[in-house]
Formats: sequence, C-alpha cells, structure tokens
Amino acid sequence: MSSESTTTTGSHTVRAAADSESELWIKRLRPGHPRHDQTVSRLHDVLLRIAYHELSRRRGRLDSISGPEFDDLANQAADDALVNILRKIDDFRGQSRFTTWAYKFVMFEVSGKVARHTWRTHPPSREALTWDRLPDSLASGPDDRLEQREQLRALSVAIGELTDRQREVFVAIALNDVPIDVLALELGTNRNAIYKNLFDARRNLRASLADSGHPVLDEGQS
Amino acid sequence: MTEHRDLDELLRVIEGDAGCTAGEAILDAYVELELAGEDPARVFPGTAIHLKSCPGCQADHDGLLDAARRFAGVSPE
Repeated sequence: MSSESTTTTGSHTVRAAADSESELWIKRLRPGHPRHDQTVSRLHDVLLRIAYHELSRRRGRLDSISGPEFDDLANQAADDALVNILRKIDDFRGQSRFTTWAYKFVMFEVSGKVARHTWRTHPPSREALTWDRLPDSLASGPDDRLEQREQLRALSVAIGELTDRQREVFVAIALNDVPIDVLALELGTNRNAIYKNLFDARRNLRASLADSGHPVLDEGQS
Repeated sequence: MTEHRDLDELLRVIEGDAGCTAGEAILDAYVELELAGEDPARVFPGTAIHLKSCPGCQADHDGLLDAARRFAGVSPE
C-alpha cells in the first residue's frame, strides 16, 4: 500500500489557514485563556451531541443496548474524544474547520466503542476464524461450468497456502463478514494491521489463481 | 459472469491504496473538500481508493461527513 503524504503537499486545494471561528476555538481552548473552562464545556456539549448522533447511525451494530448503557457509551466517546482533542490541539493545521477536525475524534471513539461492545457481546465464533472449506455461498453447484468449479477448487487450495494470519483475516472478514475492528480486538492488534493482512491475502490469492491458470476477471471483462 | 464478478469483489485489490493510518490523518481535510464541492480524490487519491475497500474507514468517513454537514458552523460562544 502507498502513503498519502506525498499528495497532501504542493499546490493542491486544501484549506491552508484556519477560518476565524476555528481560530477562536483554538485560542479559547488554550490553557490560561479566561474563557478556557467555558469553551471546554461548550466543546464537550457539541461532542456529546455528535456521539449520540453517530451511535444512533450505527445502532444496527448495538442491538440490545439502550437507556443508561447507551447514554454511558455516548458520554465515554465524548469524554475520550475531548481528552484527545485537547492533547493534540497543537497538531491542528487548519486543513479543515476546527469542528470537522474535532468531530473526527468522536468518529474514532465511536468506532472503537461499538467494536468493543460487539466483541464483548458477539465475539467471532471459532468457525468464523478457522479455515475448513469454502462457504456454501461460494461453493460450486451441480449446474456450474467446469471452469468455475476448477477456479473455486484452485481458490480453496490457494487459501490453504496463505500465511496463518492472512488466512485467518481473509476467512473472518471476506468469507464470514466479521467487522474489521472486532477482528482487530480479537487478535489484539489494530485496524490498519488487519487491513494490510487482508490486502496482502487478496493479492496473493489473485496471483495464485492466475498462476494456476484460473485468473479472476475484473468486472467488465468477459 | 456473476460468479466472476463475485470472486472479483471478494478478492478486490486496488493498487495505490493508502491504508487506514494515512486516511485517519487527513480524513477531516478529505471531508472538507467534499463539503466544498471539490473532488477529494484529486488531492488524496490513495485515501479515495482506500475508502472503497475498507468498511471501517468508510463508516468513519460517512459519519464524519454527516456530522460536519449537520453540525456545521458551531461556534465556541
């Protein structure tokens, strides 16, 4: 995978300077400003609204959670986002409005907390992590063409030849729909590391299928 | 073709993918460009590719875009 850093410099249209409202937020959030405490409190109120909104948007992943537990999750997300914002305030470069930058921390906290809740209540099953055979949704049927059956057989062999971690990640995410952040918790790592494993697994599987004479055709190819 | 397309999706790899960490750092700038009606893929091509492939980062992006739209212009007053 490539880095994005080289594309963020130069003459591209990225907000170069903070707008006056963003400057006001930053100034008042600095320790020692006479309105520091009021501004921190104001920011927390906004972050809490964002957290509630985002948790509601992701409600599908929170099934049984409601009432005080839901409130607790929103408050934790807002509290933790606020701590991170105040800690990293010198990193704000004005490439977005201050509020957009700040809301980003809420998204990350909500993602993490939703994943942790899912992991606690519905951890990935052993079957979702282990490789046995292709799932029924992929397995070839009696009416399939010989070519397709052979391609799926080659895929099955190629999955078996992945590294243990690549196979575990591919089987969980691609074949069993385990959410990436839940798998990261299960395996004691982070989203980026899991994504890299998945990316490498997919690339290796494509290469193996091509090497064995069963290349995967891109969409639009016949 | 259906089988091919399904397998293509299952094994989708798009070269130039910037990964999760690179996208996290610039997600606010990415969203700001979208809000301004500009094409963020011109400035952050690797993240534009990544967001098509990573459901976790896509959820964060969609949430941030929605929040930045709904709660825009919040002042410190």
